Amino acid sequence: MALTDLLNRVTTRATSVASGAGSAVLTAVQHNRLPGIGGASVTDDPAVSARRWRAVTVCVPELPGPFPELDALGPRIEVRTTPAPRDLGTELAARFPAGGSSDEIGELRAALRRTKQLIETGEVLRVDPQPHGHRKKTPQGAALEGVAQTAPREGVL
Amino acid sequence: MKALTWTGINEVSVEDVAEPQLLNDHDVILKIRQTVTCGSDLHLIGGYVPFMRAGDVLGHEFMGEVVEVGKAVTRRKVGDRVVVPSFIGCGSCWYCKKELYSLCDNGNPNPGITEGLWGQSPGGCFGYSHAMGGYAGSHAEYMRVPYADVGAFLVPDGVSDTRALFASDSVTTGWTGADLGGVQPGDTVAVWGAGAVGQMAARSAMLLGAEQVVVIDRIPERLQQVRQFIGADTIDYTAVEVTAELRERTGGRGPDVCIEAVGMEAHSPGPAGVYDQVKQQLRLQTDRPTAVREAIRACRKGGSVFVLGVFAGMVDKFPLGAMMNKGLTVRGAQQHGQRYLPRILDHMQKGELVTEHLATHTMPLIDGPRGYEMFKAKTDGCVRAVFTP
Ligand SMILES: NC(=O)c1ccc[n+]([C@@H]2O[C@H](COP(=O)([O-])OP(=O)(O)OC[C@H]3O[C@@H](n4cnc5c(N)ncnc54)[C@H](O)[C@@H]3O)[C@@H](O)[C@H]2O)c1
Ligand SMILES: [Zn+2]
Ligand SMILES: [Zn+2]
Repeated sequence: MALTDLLNRVTTRATSVASGAGSAVLTAVQHNRLPGIGGASVTDDPAVSARRWRAVTVCVPELPGPFPELDALGPRIEVRTTPAPRDLGTELAARFPAGGSSDEIGELRAALRRTKQLIETGEVLRVDPQPHGHRKKTPQGAALEGVAQTAPREGVL
Repeated sequence: MKALTWTGINEVSVEDVAEPQLLNDHDVILKIRQTVTCGSDLHLIGGYVPFMRAGDVLGHEFMGEVVEVGKAVTRRKVGDRVVVPSFIGCGSCWYCKKELYSLCDNGNPNPGITEGLWGQSPGGCFGYSHAMGGYAGSHAEYMRVPYADVGAFLVPDGVSDTRALFASDSVTTGWTGADLGGVQPGDTVAVWGAGAVGQMAARSAMLLGAEQVVVIDRIPERLQQVRQFIGADTIDYTAVEVTAELRERTGGRGPDVCIEAVGMEAHSPGPAGVYDQVKQQLRLQTDRPTAVREAIRACRKGGSVFVLGVFAGMVDKFPLGAMMNKGLTVRGAQQHGQRYLPRILDHMQKGELVTEHLATHTMPLIDGPRGYEMFKAKTDGCVRAVFTP
């Protein structure tokens, strides 16, 4: 299915909260099954998905920690590091062993990405505030704003 | 300040917007000296990449002067005249260390969108929709550039602003296609598309030692530019059968390397064109891959096809059988500019790589909407419209 279609479909359903609609768009994109394409990797069993290890590979030989961004998610989270093959660096993985809600998993993705950036580049990249023209108040625009807001917490990670 | 923004499908405007600020320690702020339209903008403006928000500042091919530097910047200083690749690389992730900068792990703050679309997120790009990071673009008086030590390159003395401008995107893209397409000395290289990207792919192939380079398009003034400024041969695809013509010029073999520099809005004469256009309009396919199909068909056995034209989603009638049975290598990429810029600027300084002819129309930024109209309709011989904010 075409992207514009998807966006249209979701935005006509989109109600009040922009980020809610954004998250719905991203979920739809990720679960979008195209004829002949399984989509299995993103249409994970929810119970398995809630407990799955989520990992980033950080391009440094060792990762001694601590990982304040991950620690901030509380004691229910489990963290491990493993050397990656060749010159790829070190794998940093984390999960909720007893299962996490989709919000918690969103926070986990964002925390893993921030941790990787901080170690590799020394900063978490920002984009806002930045110059922009008039933001027309349209349902499509609101949904897209929601998409951008939720995108750091979404994805296949 | 003034900036050119996307305000809706096929609609751009000049608006008053806030000035950019330093947001990270590795940032610089540039005063834009020149900024130019690119074929990719047309895909964005036309709504083929549905992640544009009304008010987004367009533009990703630009050069300017450093006017402010972040605390952690060590290699750039106020007053430097610089050119910056359109794709944003951090310089320290594994992909950047392998010089695959447009695949940077850290340059796109919205990775959720492209991970959902493609299974992985490539890097971010200036002025290129929220899928590619949502960065404000260069069609403005000032612009913020992150990771400036990695991405902002000093323009050597003697290289004019306009020559350097195209090192930001067109030349670096063309070079990416020629290099990663595997051009070897003595090769025959065919390039589809005589826009700035195709022309620069052709010139890059020549500088990498290709013996015969042929550029395919239908627009006479662009083909004329190829002959005059690039020194390559041309084929008008509306006048002759391209694959037959290429076979004849290569002793029956077909080109060793085929570079596609057309993209998802490719034009094709006849029923196939109507078929693709209807399917795209009905959203049954998101992209029109005419030139990719022809390149796969024309390429010699065991040769390589490099897709530089931008595609966003799905295509129909992809000649998988020809690709598999002919043993082709098919590859694509957004440009890895940081990898090639030092060499490109060196060629520019020596006069071996010229780009000024691409700037067929130069105008103040406030005339930007007119510039985009000409560039889109390709009227008055427009190859690129350059804006001087
Ligand atoms: N990979 C990258 O990093 C990168 C960077 C910049 C641009 N691009 C893409 O490269 C493509 C070209 O960019 P541009 O600025 O030169 O665009 P452009 O629109 O100026 O040029 C495209 C050319 O292709 C020609 N064309 C159309 N259909 C054709 C066909 N079937 N066969 C041969 N030629 C055909 C057109 O006549 C036109 O001259 C676009 O898709 C753009 O998005 C990619
Ligand atoms: Zn471009
Ligand atoms: Zn990087």
